[in-house]
Amino acid sequence: MNAALMRAVAAVLVSSLLVAGASSARAQQPATVVVTGQILDYEKGYLFFTTGDGFHVAASAPIVDLKTQVASAAPPAVREYARVTFDSTGTVTKIELSNAKLASEGDLSQIHRFAVALTPPVPNPDLAPANVPKGRCSGVVPGKRVIVQFTVQVPPTTGPGDSVYMTTDQSAWNPQAYRFDRVDALHYRATLSLLSGTVFQFLFDRGSSQSLERGENGIEAKPTSFCVSDADAQAVPHTVYHWGDESAGSGSLPVPQALPTPYNPAPFPNLPTNPTGVPTPRP
Amino acid sequence: MTALALLCAPARAQTIVHLAAQHLAFYYDRFLIEGDGGVRVTLGNGVSIRGDAFSMDLKLNRFLVAGHVHVDSPSGSQDGAAIADFLDFDRAYFVPILGQAALRQAQGDGGLRQAQGDVPDRWTFVGSDFAHPIKGRVMPGDTFYFPDVSGERAFLTTGMATIGARSFVRFGASRVDIAGVYAPLPSYYINFSTDPHLGANSLAGANFDGTYQFAGNANAISALHLRYDTVNKAYLGFEQHVSGSKAYAVFSVNPFTRPSKFWNLRLSDQPSDTFQIQSFSQLHTFQSGLSQPLEAQHVTNVLATQALHRSFLQLGYQFVNDSLLAPTPKNYYGDLNHVFVPNHPSNATLGITGFDTKIKGTPLIFRPRFGFGFAHDAYGLQIVGKTLYTTIWNHYAGLTVYTPAVRLNHPARAFQSVFLNAIVDKQRTWNSAPHFVDSTNTTLSLSRQLDPFSHLTSYLQYNILNTRDVYSKDQAAVYPSIPIGTSPGLQQFEQFAGAATLRTLSLGVLYTNRADFSASLVAEKHTDFPAPVPGLFPLPPTNVLGQYQYSAYFGKPPYDLTADVRFRLDPHTAIDIARTYYFNYPGLRWSPQFIIQVTQ
Repeated sequence: MNAALMRAVAAVLVSSLLVAGASSARAQQPATVVVTGQILDYEKGYLFFTTGDGFHVAASAPIVDLKTQVASAAPPAVREYARVTFDSTGTVTKIELSNAKLASEGDLSQIHRFAVALTPPVPNPDLAPANVPKGRCSGVVPGKRVIVQFTVQVPPTTGPGDSVYMTTDQSAWNPQAYRFDRVDALHYRATLSLLSGTVFQFLFDRGSSQSLERGENGIEAKPTSFCVSDADAQAVPHTVYHWGDESAGSGSLPVPQALPTPYNPAPFPNLPTNPTGVPTPRP
Repeated sequence: MTALALLCAPARAQTIVHLAAQHLAFYYDRFLIEGDGGVRVTLGNGVSIRGDAFSMDLKLNRFLVAGHVHVDSPSGSQDGAAIADFLDFDRAYFVPILGQAALRQAQGDGGLRQAQGDVPDRWTFVGSDFAHPIKGRVMPGDTFYFPDVSGERAFLTTGMATIGARSFVRFGASRVDIAGVYAPLPSYYINFSTDPHLGANSLAGANFDGTYQFAGNANAISALHLRYDTVNKAYLGFEQHVSGSKAYAVFSVNPFTRPSKFWNLRLSDQPSDTFQIQSFSQLHTFQSGLSQPLEAQHVTNVLATQALHRSFLQLGYQFVNDSLLAPTPKNYYGDLNHVFVPNHPSNATLGITGFDTKIKGTPLIFRPRFGFGFAHDAYGLQIVGKTLYTTIWNHYAGLTVYTPAVRLNHPARAFQSVFLNAIVDKQRTWNSAPHFVDSTNTTLSLSRQLDPFSHLTSYLQYNILNTRDVYSKDQAAVYPSIPIGTSPGLQQFEQFAGAATLRTLSLGVLYTNRADFSASLVAEKHTDFPAPVPGLFPLPPTNVLGQYQYSAYFGKPPYDLTADVRFRLDPHTAIDIARTYYFNYPGLRWSPQFIIQVTQ
């Protein structure tokens, strides 16, 4: 009896250990992997995510609508979102489709090992850090709304009633694209909401392309290139030295601007003609 | 990886992408073109691509074709899942799906020997060499990503487009979002190049300008302008732009559908980094359609600039013809509104302007200028004494001294800092007439934020403009004392002898929210000599927006309050509404009209 009991106990223990071992093995390597992503293509037995990775799809893999779990009438299409189940060999065993963007599930980089490619990957020298040129937008996370406050210092000859605008390549160089507000005798300001990662060029003017800013050397200024960073807010200072419609020698004199404009040597543009009717040599 | 694409390397010369699809949508605020169904892309190098979906970021200058892709190139054809062309970098990234024939070839090359059936791969094409793909090369991480445009409204939908890399996109028959309604248009052109000269315009201002660019390429734009202003009401204008690497030209006729037409031509050439010459010519005609004009005037301005060491030399020349039509016996054309004016004055100025120079040990910066010039009119410019001057020579010297922003205090909360700006500008102009004109313009301002988030800012500004026109012995003859009344204002006018002082105290408050709304309120008090007298001083002419054409003039009402509200309807459309109240200055309570301006 004792020997039989001991054999039975031993058998139970061995069985328990075997079961426990098997469970442990299953826990270490789950049978299925689930990820969500956007579809790049589905053809010839492969499903491609927008990572560029293509995965073998089992012939028996059901393709269903994510919400209803009803078999999809159409095959997976580019731009659709999918919740995809992989078996342990990396074969797609289920595709659940959605037109709406899906919450992130799983890790697409983890399934990269399942991707099928004829040629083993080789390093790309273009992507070596030494070969990636560092621009102002390097490392910026794109697509985030950022508040950007532009402050421009205008030439001291800018009239008190002048309007100041910013023109950009984003607005097809419309000279009145963004109007700025005066904040003191020499500065104008505007706050814009822009997407991070946007690179654009800008110039300042007084409402017409004739007035586009000039450099300190009097030559038409080249556009300033600007990258919207991914910080929550950004301040951009800028200095305008001269306006394109400043005339030589005018300084800040009030100059009549009507066209055609005969030269008027008198400094008081709206002095009345003699109200008494007596002729005077007043210009 | 994004960084790789964001860098602005020069595009391949004249890269043109011809695109067709069942549905193409353009998102203006993100410069994205998204296409679906029957996508066909043709490149200038003989490569054509078919697929299910298309996506292009015009600013990043890269496109993606995905879904059942078929690539035809001079070196052969290949099916695949997707291809992305990074035009700036001469790299095309392709995910081919290789059939058995290709696999046998690949196995011969030492590829995946156990492959059966179709197998994907990763190829990179360098330059336009589609015959020799680099196989297996790792690709940038976001190569095949689609931008998320869910919830965004397309500015335009179409079925065909031609894209000039980093330059322009020309859409075929399109439906364009105009004030929230999609309107059909036969074509639509958008320029997004970094060349500002294609955007240079030669049109006068307008309250509203709807621009329809119906044709164009990398160097030219043809545009119709549907405009509205308070003088001409609704009308059409036409504008033609041409731009090269160093020169540009803009021609316009506006308003094309009104009798009073302005024909403008702007030219600019910059043969070197230190020299530029520009001209603006305007022909004004009063004519119905293109019939014989009742008026024709002309003005040409030429401006040549030569950069020098820490200064620049500028020559300005203006030539005016007040009547280009032959004189008639009656001296008018049609009726007395169109009289013959024989004058054809001209003037020129050659001046040097110095760079800004900081005065050591002070926050002051100065900028000197001097030059000389002449004005000429064969019919006479001015009579002084008994002499009629047909040519007046002048020379001038001026100096601007200013300080950009001096912090006056250092409070615990930084936003409460008060800043001082000061500008003094003085110029004397000597004329051969003989008289000289002194002008001194002094501005002081204090400014500070009113809240820590920069929503509210305010400034207090005081401006004094002194102008003296000094004729010496002829002073009393040129500026005679004219007794016209006993009121204080009229007495001041009687005392006016060529020296005026205009003082303006301004208080401005500006509110800005998070980028789509701003409002400003500016109160001004004017203390002028001579004082304003209702009805005595003619108001300055207004431009088509209803704004006075110069800000310093006699007869300003003593008090005014200007409110300006501006809001942005979408990333490309803003409305600006302003009006001034004059506190019951006799005969004037409000500015002539609201100034409403729609900018796009």
